[in-house]
Amino acid sequence: METYNPKIVCFSCNFGWGYLSDAETIGPTILNWIPVVCSGKIDTSHILKAFRAGADGVMILGCSEGHCHFQDGNYQTRKKVFLIHKVLDAFGIEPERLTMELDIDPEGRKIPQLIAQMQHHLSGLGPVKQV
Amino acid sequence: MAEKLKVAICWLGACGGCDASIVDLNEVILQVADAVDIVLWPLAMDFKYRSIQQMPDAEIALSILSGSIRNSDHQEMAELLRKKSQVVMAMGACACFGGTPGLANFHSKDDIFNWVYRDAPTVVNPDGNFPQPETVRNGGKLTLPHFFEHVFTLDQAIDVDYYLPGCPPPPELIVNAINAVLAGDLPPKGSTLAPRKALCDTCPRNQRKPNRMEIRSFNRIHEVEADPDACFLAAGIICMGPATRNGCGETCIRINVPCRGCFGPLPGVVGSEPKFLSTLASLLVVERDDEIKEAIDSFDDPVGYLYRFTQPSSILGRRSAKKVTEEGS
Repeated sequence: METYNPKIVCFSCNFGWGYLSDAETIGPTILNWIPVVCSGKIDTSHILKAFRAGADGVMILGCSEGHCHFQDGNYQTRKKVFLIHKVLDAFGIEPERLTMELDIDPEGRKIPQLIAQMQHHLSGLGPVKQV
Repeated sequence: MAEKLKVAICWLGACGGCDASIVDLNEVILQVADAVDIVLWPLAMDFKYRSIQQMPDAEIALSILSGSIRNSDHQEMAELLRKKSQVVMAMGACACFGGTPGLANFHSKDDIFNWVYRDAPTVVNPDGNFPQPETVRNGGKLTLPHFFEHVFTLDQAIDVDYYLPGCPPPPELIVNAINAVLAGDLPPKGSTLAPRKALCDTCPRNQRKPNRMEIRSFNRIHEVEADPDACFLAAGIICMGPATRNGCGETCIRINVPCRGCFGPLPGVVGSEPKFLSTLASLLVVERDDEIKEAIDSFDDPVGYLYRFTQPSSILGRRSAKKVTEEGS
């Protein structure tokens, strides 16, 4: 049997995550990494489109509380995540396939670790079931 | 005298409300009937499908199709009319986005059949009979259309030229659309024959919207006494206006009912539901995680509300009819 390797799409805020690292050195180690200007910029449709395109999980990395460069982008997206969990559940996609982490990691060393953790967790769930 | 243009009006997986909206043209329908030759309209007139099958291809100038594609009969009829028509217009929310019947896509075909023919409390079916596509009785074979696993929009089954959304579309837009086809004055193929703005742009309640909207919990319409002239969202009542195309004439809003989204997404938007979710999230002013959870739990049946008319055309819900039916057979 082929080993199941969950595909994770990672959206991260540029102000909190990995901005000190050279994208060319850290980028290739993280598949499907999409740095954005603020986690608040991540639209709900981007997340749903990731699942539509075959993602097994979506991870959002935002700044820790009170540290958003744009006042409250991380907080806005946290609310979206709670709402999308309801939508995903209805489509037969387990809500834990969408997670959000609030922290600051300028060198981005934690990103591959977090992705590995999520992959490990999702491999227990198996691929996304078609509705 | 030049021959009149032929028009076909047909319902697929529909309730008939769209056809009733055509009847609501009242006297105007007589002018339409004078101007064109109606060759098919199951709701109002008696024609045989055979006469359509015998027509040369592209003989019909305009086919107005309402309803979703739920079974093989709908698919056959849609394909036949596509072949015989120059212009096909998807009319109503079901044909354009899947409509309310599309909510069935949150359940499997087996779930639906088990509930409807076995488990619902009003069902009496001691022999456990379920509808079959083929049944042999007294040496004769009886057939029924195949019920698909999925509800499709019209454009997932056939090529569609124009869209006229609404549940049902208002008579003014219908007559404008028919006149545009008759006059040959049509926008580019694939256009939606309705205004291009959001409902909030024309909503009379918008004028009394607070400067800063703050929602702490969601209310259903019977749970609060909302100000009859103020924005529904300001009172925490879910209204799809910000993410829905206008053109409906604000009929629901005018009778104190919030928008349910039957005109579908705005131009250029694929899936109004996630856009609306983003809007809604930014209006919520609760802070702690447990408060956010509590507020969101007060939103009764969010998925049923958001996807009420659009499940089959949504980002996660859309499927190709050809692919699904071929795999299923």
